[in-house]
Amino acid sequence: MRRLRATLRAVAESILAAAIGLVVAGFILKAWGYSPISAYIALFEASFRDLYGIAGALANATPLILTALTFAVAARAGLFNIGAEGQMYFGALAAVAASLFRLPPGLHLLVALAFAGAAGVLWSLVPSVLRATRGVSEVISTIMFNWIGRYLAFWLVANVLVDPYRAEKTITVLPGSRFPTLVPGTDLSYAIFLAVAVALLVYFLLWHTVTGYEMRAAGANPDAARYGGVRSAGVIVLVFLLGGITAGLAGATQSLGRPPTYAVYSGLPQISNLGFDGIGVAMIGRNHPLGIIFAAVFYGGLQSGARVMQLFAGIPLEMVRVVQGVIVLALALPELLRIFRILRRRRVELGGER
Amino acid sequence: MPEPLLKAEGIVKVYPDGTVALRGVDFDIRPGEIQGLLGENGAGKTTLTKIISGLLPPTLGRILLGGEPVRLRSPKEALARGIGMVHQHFALVDDFTVLENIALGTGRPADRALRASVAELMERTGLRVPLDAPVENLAVGERQRVEILKVLSRAVRILILDEPTSVLTPVETDELFGFLRRLKGEGVGIVFITHKLREVLEITDRVTVLRRGEVVGEVLTRETSAEELARMMVGAELRPRGRRPVELLTDIPRERREAVRTGVEPVLVVEDLRVPAEGGGEAVKGISFELYPGEILGIAGVEGNGQTELVEAICGLRGGRGSARLRGREILGLPPLELYRLGLAHIPEDRWKYGLILSFTVAENSILGRQRSPRFLGPLTVLRWGEVFAHARELIARFSIQAPGLEAPAKSLSGGNQQKLIVGRELSKEPDVVIAAQPTRGLDIGAAEYIRDLLLGLRDEGKAILLVSADLDEVLELSDRVAFMYEGTFTAVTTPAELDRERAGLYMGGMRG
Ligand SMILES: Nc1ncnc2c1ncn2[C@@H]1O[C@H](COP(=O)(O)OP(=O)(O)OP(=O)(O)O)[C@@H](O)[C@H]1O
Ligand SMILES: [Mg+2]
Repeated sequence: MRRLRATLRAVAESILAAAIGLVVAGFILKAWGYSPISAYIALFEASFRDLYGIAGALANATPLILTALTFAVAARAGLFNIGAEGQMYFGALAAVAASLFRLPPGLHLLVALAFAGAAGVLWSLVPSVLRATRGVSEVISTIMFNWIGRYLAFWLVANVLVDPYRAEKTITVLPGSRFPTLVPGTDLSYAIFLAVAVALLVYFLLWHTVTGYEMRAAGANPDAARYGGVRSAGVIVLVFLLGGITAGLAGATQSLGRPPTYAVYSGLPQISNLGFDGIGVAMIGRNHPLGIIFAAVFYGGLQSGARVMQLFAGIPLEMVRVVQGVIVLALALPELLRIFRILRRRRVELGGER
Repeated sequence: MPEPLLKAEGIVKVYPDGTVALRGVDFDIRPGEIQGLLGENGAGKTTLTKIISGLLPPTLGRILLGGEPVRLRSPKEALARGIGMVHQHFALVDDFTVLENIALGTGRPADRALRASVAELMERTGLRVPLDAPVENLAVGERQRVEILKVLSRAVRILILDEPTSVLTPVETDELFGFLRRLKGEGVGIVFITHKLREVLEITDRVTVLRRGEVVGEVLTRETSAEELARMMVGAELRPRGRRPVELLTDIPRERREAVRTGVEPVLVVEDLRVPAEGGGEAVKGISFELYPGEILGIAGVEGNGQTELVEAICGLRGGRGSARLRGREILGLPPLELYRLGLAHIPEDRWKYGLILSFTVAENSILGRQRSPRFLGPLTVLRWGEVFAHARELIARFSIQAPGLEAPAKSLSGGNQQKLIVGRELSKEPDVVIAAQPTRGLDIGAAEYIRDLLLGLRDEGKAILLVSADLDEVLELSDRVAFMYEGTFTAVTTPAELDRERAGLYMGGMRG
């Protein structure tokens, strides 16, 4: 009952925030001489009117759910894992690498996913260990690893996994390790079920297991958690482990489940920023796995709608981005403020970071 | 009778979750008067004073200041109008120094001038704190002093104190009272919340009693008695018991336990324990003692003399050198969970730092530290919520905790009820050794008595209890032996029967016995 009330309040708050965002963005559109009404019609019609629109929104949402989980799990435990972006690159590439050999279909997909998860974890290992043993701020280290990861990924695409016939992309993933397409003619694949299932699992972990209890305790009050026997190093390692897996899987959904390419292109055009967008999605979803599912669909819709808005309402791309940004910011604001408060508190504990 | 400085009329407060905390309260504050505000845990005292000091908006009702209706939107606005409040839970910035915190509270820069005026204030009030220490290094009693100084350093016409004495020693309380009397002489209107009837009778002129959000009585202090006040609070006759005389309590059971103790091994042996202080130096300078089954060893002393560090070192929350052996096993440096498995429970002095996770629900808090015990742990580390709820319900019933519900966040409990939740949780661990720091802090008379009885009962069952309290009466009443702590060492270890308050005061002040 009480929980329901709290949930309803959060939903109401989000709807209000979205409305405020739309109004503010509307004024901005108006001020630059565009019609907000037709812009918004274009925006929402595109993504939510028919099956194709919805499929597009869901396809966009698939990786975002997973990268948002990376951030949310950490945030619940009082950590700020910004590293989904880099970990996701390696997930995508590791899933491709699984096509260097041949396995029975189905099993091949599972192996590719395992590769992806492991690669994500691998790339989160150093920040994780540094934080757990030396107290090095994970904010800084994960951001650094995103950059290192980006250039390493460029190199891997061009040199290691490169398609012998087409130098601008990696080898193409074998059909046996692909996610089947869910709605023919769209890029929505069964990967969406993986993303939703992982979100539900994370929900279960956080609120129905002792491990989750301890993670949330460490995030809500580190002193009391220590008093209650929670080992913070253990929590940190676990958070990064889970974060690495989800980010790695996010990458895999793109190389294994996003028709028509089934490969990673040089410069990483299809996957860049999915990790960063996930942070926004996590904040809109209040770092709650179920909230994240809805937030990701909304965000995914906004992304495909933005393209339509540009095409049909004749609004330039920059303007579309501004509108998008304002709406996302309005939605993420409550969570953002909370995070600033925690960071300020943490500044002291970590020392050195002042 | 002079015009009231402030009148609150028909105040109703309904919290967002539907809890009705105040049901139409009329309340006034008069110049040159100290008014006691009494009531059981959860009666609404904190809520009422938070409304008067601008921290919470009332749901209904209005506040008149000098006859004019006012709307106080923030504590800052209230302060600007001369209303200051010392909160039950501290509102201090942890990583700031004491002086910086006071500066923050007064809006003045933390400069020489402020330092001088605060130093002078410390002199006048008798409340002393190290001005340059970061607040996070201070014990609760010291933080309380900072909180009081912060408000007093502003010129206020109305001063509200929410349980300011619950962690002060008798000497400090006396000095504070002296200061409050002087303020009263200057025409300040003072509201004083406490659970200690002795203090109410000593310092107040008038007493208002709240019960379940309603004013159930208003009397002049000189026309009332402890019994009448207690009756008004509870709404029924209290067991005719009050505080038992010290002799009675300590003598009889002690002999019996002495008999038990001969040939008994101590459960906890602490030898030459040294704990570094946060700011350098040592907070605990080589303390040794033995704790026997079937005894309560009290540690008395002014807060900030190393008690916090001593307890935290033994309880695995802080590093220390030397040795502490629980039934022969070295426990220094063991993590808290391991200590719990060895049968040690710890009621922490700071309920907001260690005791509770405020944003967690009552049910979640009820298992903190026991989350991995088999009762709550299913396969694959799945939490058995059914068992957790059942356990929380047991605690609520047994310790009469007033909570809006099992899923209400702990922060929505009144101070005393938060304390009951912690004490209940720790004692429900069925420990052999209890380290209890300020166990009855903020509890109303009935609840405090209940906890004291419980500690005595545990002792009689043969458990060992280390009791740290700023409340000298409590230490003397409960303990079989008392150690006095001063600047990191024990100045004396003795039995209450051989003590009087004066001698105790000397030991607390550093005289060795
Ligand atoms: N933030 C909140 N949300 C919901 N209910 C609350 C909140 N704060 C207090 N309450 C409820 O309001 C009632 C009065 O609480 P209050 O803190 O005023 O009591 P109190 O008289 O100060 O008690 P104590 O002596 O224990 O400090 C209690 O039932 C409490 O549970
Ligand atoms: Mg209170």
